[in-house]
Amino acid sequence: MALKRSILIVVLMAACPFFLISAQAGAMDPFSGLSGEIRISGGTAHIPVMKEAAKQIMRANPEISISIAGGGSGVGIKQVGEGIVDIGNSGRAATDAEVEKYGLKLFKWAIDGVGVAVNPDNPVTALTKAQLKDIYSGKITDWKNLGGKDAPITVYTRDESSGTRSVFWKKALGKGDIVSSANFVVSNGAMKTAIANDPNAIGYVSVGHMDASVAGVALDGVSPTIDTVKSGEYTVARGLYSNTKGDPSGLTQLFIAYLLSPEGQRIVVQKGFVPVN
Amino acid sequence: MTRVTQQTARIVFFLSAAVSAMAAALVFGFLLVFGFPLIGGGEFFSLLARPWSPGQGLYGFLPMITGTAAISFLSIVFALPLSLGTVCFMGGLGPARISRLVDGFVRFMTGIPTVIYGFLGIFLLVPVVRTLFTSAGSGMCILSASLMLSLLVSPTMIIFFKDGFDSVDVRYIQAADALGADSVQRLIYVILPEAWPGIVTGIIMGLGRAMGDTLIALMIAGNAVHVPGSILDSARTLTSHIALVSASDYDSLAFKSIFACGLTLYVLNAFAVIAVRRLGRKRGPVR
Amino acid sequence: MNIRILGGCLRVFSWGAVLVLTGSVLMLLGYLLVKGVPSLGRDLIFGQVDVLDAVLLKKRVFDGLFPAIAGTLSVVVLSVGLAIPVGVCAGIYMSEFATVFQQRVFGLMFDILAGIPSIVIGLFGFSGAIFIHKYISKDFRPCLAVSVVALAFLVLPYITRTTQAALQGLGDQTRQAALALGATRVQNIFYVLLPRSVSGILSGIILAIGRCAEDTAVIMLTGVVATAGIPGSLLGSYEALPFYIYYISSQYTDAAELMSGYGAAIILLGVCAVLFFLAFLIKRHVAGPAGPARGRFHG
Repeated sequence: MALKRSILIVVLMAACPFFLISAQAGAMDPFSGLSGEIRISGGTAHIPVMKEAAKQIMRANPEISISIAGGGSGVGIKQVGEGIVDIGNSGRAATDAEVEKYGLKLFKWAIDGVGVAVNPDNPVTALTKAQLKDIYSGKITDWKNLGGKDAPITVYTRDESSGTRSVFWKKALGKGDIVSSANFVVSNGAMKTAIANDPNAIGYVSVGHMDASVAGVALDGVSPTIDTVKSGEYTVARGLYSNTKGDPSGLTQLFIAYLLSPEGQRIVVQKGFVPVN
Repeated sequence: MTRVTQQTARIVFFLSAAVSAMAAALVFGFLLVFGFPLIGGGEFFSLLARPWSPGQGLYGFLPMITGTAAISFLSIVFALPLSLGTVCFMGGLGPARISRLVDGFVRFMTGIPTVIYGFLGIFLLVPVVRTLFTSAGSGMCILSASLMLSLLVSPTMIIFFKDGFDSVDVRYIQAADALGADSVQRLIYVILPEAWPGIVTGIIMGLGRAMGDTLIALMIAGNAVHVPGSILDSARTLTSHIALVSASDYDSLAFKSIFACGLTLYVLNAFAVIAVRRLGRKRGPVR
Repeated sequence: MNIRILGGCLRVFSWGAVLVLTGSVLMLLGYLLVKGVPSLGRDLIFGQVDVLDAVLLKKRVFDGLFPAIAGTLSVVVLSVGLAIPVGVCAGIYMSEFATVFQQRVFGLMFDILAGIPSIVIGLFGFSGAIFIHKYISKDFRPCLAVSVVALAFLVLPYITRTTQAALQGLGDQTRQAALALGATRVQNIFYVLLPRSVSGILSGIILAIGRCAEDTAVIMLTGVVATAGIPGSLLGSYEALPFYIYYISSQYTDAAELMSGYGAAIILLGVCAVLFFLAFLIKRHVAGPAGPARGRFHG
């Protein structure tokens, strides 16, 4: 009896994936019968969406393999331009010079904000842009001056390759200086982790990546949330792009079409970004 | 027939040696070719002393050089006494059975991945440093990195020290024993003077390992691009700079600069190696 | 100076050093085990996929470490496999054939190669891949093969130098007995000298295996990525345990991911320990009871 029941359970469990696949069969139809590799690199804000999309596709079609690397927007644009990867992600629009040099095609599949974040234990929850500029240029070095506790501010930043940095630097800092003693982290995920672990941290992170482990700081009175980004109220925002060299073809084209399809956009929402369609 | 085998074997051996030796030159060549646009203008040396500020077109790496120097030197300062003490322990000062255990443990330590030290550094050491020293900011600083690094380089140093100890001619030790020397006397009068070349090699290998390690500094030194003012400051090493920038735009000067960083590491390493070989030859085995 | 006082100080100092060193490492590893052991289990490696299906490559593992483990094993086996023959032959040449001048020049080159930081070797591999991509084949990109070659470069000098040292460490009597009986130099090497220096050579290989398995800097520049699946070809991207640990340490999104990082760290440590003890067992087996009468852990 017990044996029979466990056999039944095993059969049901084994059948589960098939139900899931059949539920999504519509979105996966174009991929059926195809095989090959898609290489993706670049923007780190994109990674959660990329991973989920890759997982869905590879689960439905085991002949396709998709590799995902980070590096930052600059890397994505460069690598796709040089033909090292098939899709280069960027958290900023490629510049005219980049588009022209490599013949890039840009596909925007989500809108994202870049929010200032501090540790959840930090009492400071709002800053003006002027204060932010002073913190990042090294003029304000203590939380006490901002109504926080008596502790030095640890400034976190990203490297030049980061699209998140370039958007933050342009739209939040007004191209102001970033103090040279700032700690560097390599991705949005790393920024979030660093802030979550350091009670005196300040940094900037993709709004889609924000969760309870960090506290978003209102900038000139507007909190960085998915809603304020959507409404356009929060202005430090940007598109998330996937770029290809020339018009995409084959698997690459299907992958981008998937991102823009209702299923792809559902992943975008699920991962905390504003969908474009 | 034997002659042919003899010759073939000899040629294979020679080619292997030549290829291995050429590898070092090949790496150098690549760094030079790729870094040429930055180095070619005779700017290499002025770069060394300049700050890093790509926004202003400055690609100097003085901050990374000082960062590397501070972190690797400090790690050797921590690791040297540990290693010397441990190798003396194994060289006769400790009970034989424990010595064997320690020896095995040290060899096992060589297998502990540097990324695990970095990982544990983030979650165990960095919070401690942050709590103990408020001026350490995030806790990601030179001190944290060099403490972890000292654990990484110790086994390397110990093994080379130990090789130096072991290479001491057994007859000397037997002679000392026959004269009634105890373990301390044997160590001080016979082994240490004889093992000197091994100790120098060990220090160099340790320093090389410390300078060359990427992950620990990358993960727990903070990576700030400035000349550090204290051991509680965040710092970036040449190695982590390469790791951080390597993925960027290939045509940019910022990217070329990492080849200059690589070249600097290469040249520093080569100088150290040459210096030690000279030193080793001069001292020689004191017999 | 009074030798007894000096001796006493030295004894205390050496005990202290051993305690601090082993103590701190044991504490670190203990912390890792305490935090990470609860995460260990079938799910950590294989996710929701059946073990047999995963190992036979019938199904892909998405939520487990299996692809990273497979990637690390392939990179270690291939690169050490590539480095051993070249390294041992080079070591033989250095010890048995090289002139004093060659010994000096090659020796210098090996020392330099041994000291080159792994990230610089990675940079070399990366620029080599870019070079091939630009001038030879557009389809070539940083991949498993690039990592393997770069890692082989990294460990070559370890193997060469230990082989050389082991051979040179043999006494003149050992060296000349077979020659005197009419053996050729090559016969002497293969039948007398190499068998007697196997334990020394193996100690170099142990170092090499350890370096390959744990190295993160080389692979992060030459083809490892966060998500790739099981390495399918030498020309594809792959995952690796050390890179996964690095990646998770800075980018974990929730507690479960962080736990998988601890799990990965334990597995990597386990892999290194197993490799280490395997090499150790081989060494003991080869050395046999009649081997050099040194301690069991001796190199």
